[in-house]
Amino acid sequence: MKLLKPSWVNHNGKPIFSVDIHPDGTKFATGGQGEDSGKVVIWNMAPVLREEDEKNENIPKLLCQMDNHLACVNCVRWSNNGLYLASGGDDKLVMVWKRAAFIGPSTVFGSSSKLANVEQWRCVMILRNHTGDVMDVAWSPHDVWLASCSVDNTIVIWNARKFPEIVMTLKGHTGLVKGLTWDPVGKYIASQADDHSLKVWRTMDCEVRLQTSSCSPEMLCGGTTHVLRLSWSPDGQYLVSAHAMNNSGPTAQIIERDGWKTNMDFVGHRKAVTVVKFNPKIFKKKQKNGSTPKPSCPYCCCAVGSKDRSLSVWLTSLKRPLVVIHDLFDKSIMDISWTLNGLGLLVCSMDGTVAFLDFSQDELGDPLNEEEKNAIHQNIYGKSLAITMESHLSSTIIENPEMLKYQQERQGNQNPNGAQGSSHENQTPKLTNVLNGESLEDIRKNLLKKQVETRTADGRRRITPLCIAQLDTGGPAAVNSIGMKSNLLLTSASKIEPMKALDSRFTERSKATPGVTSVPLTIGITPLDRVKDSSSVKEPKGKDETSSDSEDKGMVKSLSMAKRKGEMEGAEVVEKRKKGRPRKDAKMMMPISQPFPQVTFLLSSFKVSTDAITYLEVENEVSVVSGARLSQLKWSREGREWDMLLTSRIIIATGSSDVVAVACEDRTLSVFTTCGRRLIPSIILSAPMSALHCSGHFVMALMASATLSVWDVQKQTALVKNESLNPILSGTDATVSQSFLTQQGVPVVSLSNGKTYCFNSSLETWNLIADKQDSLVQCADFRNCLTSQDALGSMGPLALTQSRNLSAGRLASRFSSTPHHLQQGMTLAFLENQLSSSLILLSASEYRHWLLIYARFLVNEGYEQRLRELCQDLLGPVHKSSSSSWEPTVLGLRKRDLLTEVMPVIGQNLRFQRLFTEYQDQLELLRLK
Amino acid sequence: MAKVQVLNVSVLDNPSPFGNPFQFEITFECMEDLPEDLEWKIIYVGSAESEEYDQVLDSVLVGPVPAGRHMFVFQADAPNTGLIPESDAVGVTVVLITCTYRGQEFIRIGYYVNNEYTDPELRENPPVKPNYTQLQRNILASNPRVTRFHINWEATMEKMEDSENVDPAPNAMLPPTSMPGKAPPLGLMPDNSMDCL
Repeated sequence: MKLLKPSWVNHNGKPIFSVDIHPDGTKFATGGQGEDSGKVVIWNMAPVLREEDEKNENIPKLLCQMDNHLACVNCVRWSNNGLYLASGGDDKLVMVWKRAAFIGPSTVFGSSSKLANVEQWRCVMILRNHTGDVMDVAWSPHDVWLASCSVDNTIVIWNARKFPEIVMTLKGHTGLVKGLTWDPVGKYIASQADDHSLKVWRTMDCEVRLQTSSCSPEMLCGGTTHVLRLSWSPDGQYLVSAHAMNNSGPTAQIIERDGWKTNMDFVGHRKAVTVVKFNPKIFKKKQKNGSTPKPSCPYCCCAVGSKDRSLSVWLTSLKRPLVVIHDLFDKSIMDISWTLNGLGLLVCSMDGTVAFLDFSQDELGDPLNEEEKNAIHQNIYGKSLAITMESHLSSTIIENPEMLKYQQERQGNQNPNGAQGSSHENQTPKLTNVLNGESLEDIRKNLLKKQVETRTADGRRRITPLCIAQLDTGGPAAVNSIGMKSNLLLTSASKIEPMKALDSRFTERSKATPGVTSVPLTIGITPLDRVKDSSSVKEPKGKDETSSDSEDKGMVKSLSMAKRKGEMEGAEVVEKRKKGRPRKDAKMMMPISQPFPQVTFLLSSFKVSTDAITYLEVENEVSVVSGARLSQLKWSREGREWDMLLTSRIIIATGSSDVVAVACEDRTLSVFTTCGRRLIPSIILSAPMSALHCSGHFVMALMASATLSVWDVQKQTALVKNESLNPILSGTDATVSQSFLTQQGVPVVSLSNGKTYCFNSSLETWNLIADKQDSLVQCADFRNCLTSQDALGSMGPLALTQSRNLSAGRLASRFSSTPHHLQQGMTLAFLENQLSSSLILLSASEYRHWLLIYARFLVNEGYEQRLRELCQDLLGPVHKSSSSSWEPTVLGLRKRDLLTEVMPVIGQNLRFQRLFTEYQDQLELLRLK
Repeated sequence: MAKVQVLNVSVLDNPSPFGNPFQFEITFECMEDLPEDLEWKIIYVGSAESEEYDQVLDSVLVGPVPAGRHMFVFQADAPNTGLIPESDAVGVTVVLITCTYRGQEFIRIGYYVNNEYTDPELRENPPVKPNYTQLQRNILASNPRVTRFHINWEATMEKMEDSENVDPAPNAMLPPTSMPGKAPPLGLMPDNSMDCL
């Protein structure tokens, strides 16, 4: 056994009341007293385990500090899945913490040395119900429930799936409840209180009843210890109490599950036992080489900490303690936590220090593996622990070698190099740079000009900040030393003097800025209202809104420019145009594009391939030949150029990699090849042109009469014929804010109300593909279904319409109080919308992107039906039959290839291994064919 | 734990003539989407003697702020010279950048500013009435003084009322006055580099 007291684990001398090792063993949490608040600290485990990591300055020791608790923290506990940390404190609160995915390591601006948080954990839930200090918290097996106990004499069982829902408040103790432990089988929860009682409560689905009030009052003690942390053995057979008495000597009472008999105890501590903690592993005797393996009885291991400052470790197979360590601390032991492998042990004390004990297998024995442990449970309880509470029936045994491979890969990925002590960095989400290829330097140069500044209703300036990273870069952007020319003369005494007078100004809040006190006293709105409120606040201010604003502005600018020209030409033209509008229904009107000014005007430059930029220049009224005014269109790309004369003034010109389309004032549309060859004689339009787009060999025309046409000029067919925009415009005040044509010739129209539609020529319908106000988008939370490359987002028409900073999930974080199933539903609906939208937009890459996210979501959340249907559709009939209408491809992607991509995703959830095997086999079969 | 961390402030256009606008490029990081705007202010301290001469050069709302890292340039006009005591025009003073959320100030960044004549002649014999056109403003950008304040980031007050159930524990740790207020006394400023508190 090795013993270590890492001095760097401390709360600046303040007591540490609780310690808990993360299930993955890479970090641990401590809870206790802070400066003038409660404090929770998350530490890196690696420097505790290995000396070289402790000495390596590049390996952080402290990962995160949270001082949100208003008063001393009595207990910290990781959830079994490791995603959450629960903490309870003297402020009567239970806080649930989750790692913030967005933010990575950051330094602190303006501070010279202090290391900032390496990981960011934020409080996702504050559980308020207790009316007194919370003394202990405990997650049930499988994290279904969270129990907390308090000096208000109650125990509250919280529904961990639907925080802050309370399943039950357990009343019955007549003294301060100071310890909690779940039965590993999940059937019971036990509590110990200052009322000299230990109660075992039976949990039945959604009910908890008092099973037994064990131990005679003479046996148990109370009142003298801060905590009474009892523990249940991993095989479920024994419950060990804290602070009991036997012949006026302090003991830890052993209570047998069978009949709640109290015949045994751990004796020897000189003062009250504060904490008992069973090793999570069950052990069997170390088999010596050469000796015949004798069937030995498995045993458990238990650590007992006491107010006498000593720690004892017991094996249930031995009559005497395995080891007793005296004078480990200056004050009472407060909490103990074992590592998951059962060989390490952290102990914390009221004196503010922590000790680590490292055992070898020779000392403790061979830990049983999960299978053997399950076999024991099977023996005792007739069922394996892993399958109680949860419908994990299929997930306990891995039946398929492929499945095993994926599981192992997955575990490998999750814990790539724990030995390096830097695994937390690998878990940090990869950065997403949203800078669009520009370097930070370029952006900084023009930031002032580029940033969007608006005025609020009351005339105040409002700047939209430039988002430079959605996820954290962890990079040097935070470096704050900007070189300063050293020509500042601050040496003379007269100058230093006022500085002293000024010093206070740095810290005192001046009248100019209102103090803290004004706001916290606002009326308490119920949380539900708050959510509504914040969403309603959000809508008018949403980022998308402003971006579309600026688009509008851009458009207005170009129009007003054209208008100026019109005025120069004489107001009559404009007048006439107004009268000449084909229909009276003003709402339906599109803005009519005005002719370009006479001067040469660089119309558009667009990239058709990766490198070549095409320039289109329009010069109206370039010359007058026998009374007719001629206009010129100039095209150039990489030195090649041509020009074309037209008889009418050009109002819009645009082009693609294949064609150039020009709309003229005389309502004609001409289409040329990229060599300047006319493809079709002028098309006569029914109304003036409002917007014109080209993509590939498709041309899209949006007329002022609010009709839309799309032609395939290669095949010389009409894809969309004078289709009215009435269905999407009627009933709204919205106008068309943006329109474009996808590479596949699907016309897309965005309206100023934030909705985007595309026209499907086979269904002959308008389809809604994006809605900025869609609450589904804002509440959907599929971030945990994103892989690092997915996080970079997909590029394509759908992403374009939904704006690059897809706001999906932006509100999700604030909706953590939304019931999980509701959010699940919203996310599902959103993902299905995305999938069908990319399908209708014929955007193959986006279809694949969303399909994989969708599959991942289905797998994570366990939607078996949908997953099965999805797989079935992708697989198709295994045997060819003429009656089958199954298409082997979707958007040019082979469905079975897609299924092959989806298989590893399914393989990550053991629950679906039957499904996995089924489809894997069929895919294999098809491959052999 | 503040939701908004200021990562960096770069002082642009420095040193510069006294009449030039102030320009600060501010980079900050936000832990989660903020439903409300941040309000930034630049305050010019006209005189060390009294807050009376403080001028709010400009205040600007910044938003929307989704989770992530953001930057913007805060530009504000030079101070109104008419409001600066003539005796304090030349020499060292302070410019402050503050940020508030829901009306609560959570960070204050201060810089020393040195206003000096560039002309050695004027430096030797400064005119009684300051000649602002000849003054150069130099912000000591390398030495920001950052003070952080704890504020309540949530819209609602934390419900902390005691129920009629008698708290059996003699809970002496929290005097009732300090319980509901989210903001602990200013003494808790772990990142503050100054000891004047």
